[in-house]
Amino acid sequence: MATTSFATGANAAQPDAATQIEIYRRMNLIMQNDEASRKIIRSGRLMMPYYSQRGQEVIPSAISVNLNDDDKICTIYRGIHDMLAKGVPLRALWAEIAGKVTGTCKGKGGPMHITHPASGAILTTGIVGSSMPIANGLAWAAKLDKTRQVTIANFGDGASNIGAFHESLNLASLWKLPVIFVCQNNRFAEHTRYENGTSVDQISKRAAGYGMPGITVDGNDPYEMYAVANEAINRARDGEGPTLIEAMTFRFFGHVFGDDDFYMTKEEKSAAMAADPVPLYRAKLIANGVATEETLAALETDIAAQIADAIEFALASAPPPLEELTRDVYAEQGVA
Amino acid sequence: MATDIILPKIGFSMTEGVLAEWLVADGATVTEGQPIFSLESDKSTNEVESPAAGVIKITGVAGDTYEVGAIIGTIE
Repeated sequence: MATTSFATGANAAQPDAATQIEIYRRMNLIMQNDEASRKIIRSGRLMMPYYSQRGQEVIPSAISVNLNDDDKICTIYRGIHDMLAKGVPLRALWAEIAGKVTGTCKGKGGPMHITHPASGAILTTGIVGSSMPIANGLAWAAKLDKTRQVTIANFGDGASNIGAFHESLNLASLWKLPVIFVCQNNRFAEHTRYENGTSVDQISKRAAGYGMPGITVDGNDPYEMYAVANEAINRARDGEGPTLIEAMTFRFFGHVFGDDDFYMTKEEKSAAMAADPVPLYRAKLIANGVATEETLAALETDIAAQIADAIEFALASAPPPLEELTRDVYAEQGVA
Repeated sequence: MATDIILPKIGFSMTEGVLAEWLVADGATVTEGQPIFSLESDKSTNEVESPAAGVIKITGVAGDTYEVGAIIGTIE
C-alpha cells in the first residue's frame, strides 16, 4: 500500500549484479554475526542483554547499498544489523560489545550504545522512539550545510505509537528534511502484538497525516526493499523531503535473547522461520545466474573468518582504564 | 588446554539459574556445539551447547542453583 505513487515493475530501480551480491554479503554478515553473538552468550563468555536481529537482515542490507559513507543512520537497541550494513568495522564493534578500550566507544557504551561516526553510524539508542528526533537534527544540519547527505532513522513498530514519532514526521515534512523514516515492523512491540497496541492496520498510513509519502513494503524482499529505498533516498537527496517506509519483517529470537515467546504462536514463528530471507535470496541469486555457489561459499567463509578474528581481538583487548571513567563525559579541565 | 563450562546469562534480568540436567555423562567425548546441559532461568529453559570439543569433566550438580558466570565443568 502506498499513499503516494512509487515506481513499480519495470520502472522500479533494479540493483545491478554486483549490488545484488553486495546485498547478500551484508545479509550474510548480519546473519553469521548474530549466530556468533548468540553462541558466545550461550557459552557464558560474554554477558549482555542481546536483541537478536535474525530474520531482519534484508532491510538494512538493501537500504545501505544506496548510501554513501558520509550518509548517516540512527538506530535502536535491536540495531547491530543496521550498524554492520552501514560498515561499522567488526573488531571495534565486538570490542565495544565486550566492554573493551579498543571498542567504538572505548568500551563505555556497550551493545546498546554502538556509535561509529567514521562510517556514518551515529547513534544506537535504548529509548524507544528516540532515534527519530536525532535523525531530524542530523538531516537539518545536512540541509543547512547543503551537503546532499541523507539520514536514515530506524525504529520498530511500537515506536510509531510514541509522541516523538509524530513530532518528528511533522517537523521533517514541514522543513523538507533529507531523512527517511524506516519502520522495521516485526509485528511485536517487545512482548505486545501489533494489533493490541497500534490503531491503524498499516503504519505507512500515518504518513498522510504529515503530508509525506508513505509505503508498506515486504522488508524481507531485497528487490522491493532496494527499489523503494533507492527512490526515497534520491528524493531526500534532491531536497524533496522525507519518506516513511514501513518494512514488514519478523524477528526469529524474540524481544530479548532468552525469551520463551509466550506471546506468539508456534505456528507463526515456524512459518516465519521457514521463509528465512537469507537462504531464499541466496538460492535466487544462484538460480538467476547472478552468482555461483562457489562465489557465495567463498564470501561466507571470508565473513566467518572476519567474525572469528573480531571476537578473538575483542576478548584479548584490555578493559578501559580507570581514568577513562569520566573522559568523554565531562569537559576536560582547561578546555573552555 | 581446558575450556571452562560457564553458566551463561540468557535473558535481561537473569542473575542465577538452575542446572536442570546434564545431557552427557562425566568423561564423555563431546563436540563443539553439542548440547551438554539444560539450564532453567525465571523466563525459560535452554539447552546449552559445548564451547569446545574434547572430554567433559563435570563439577556442577544437577538440580543446584548457580550464579551466572559460575564454572560448572571443563572440556579437555
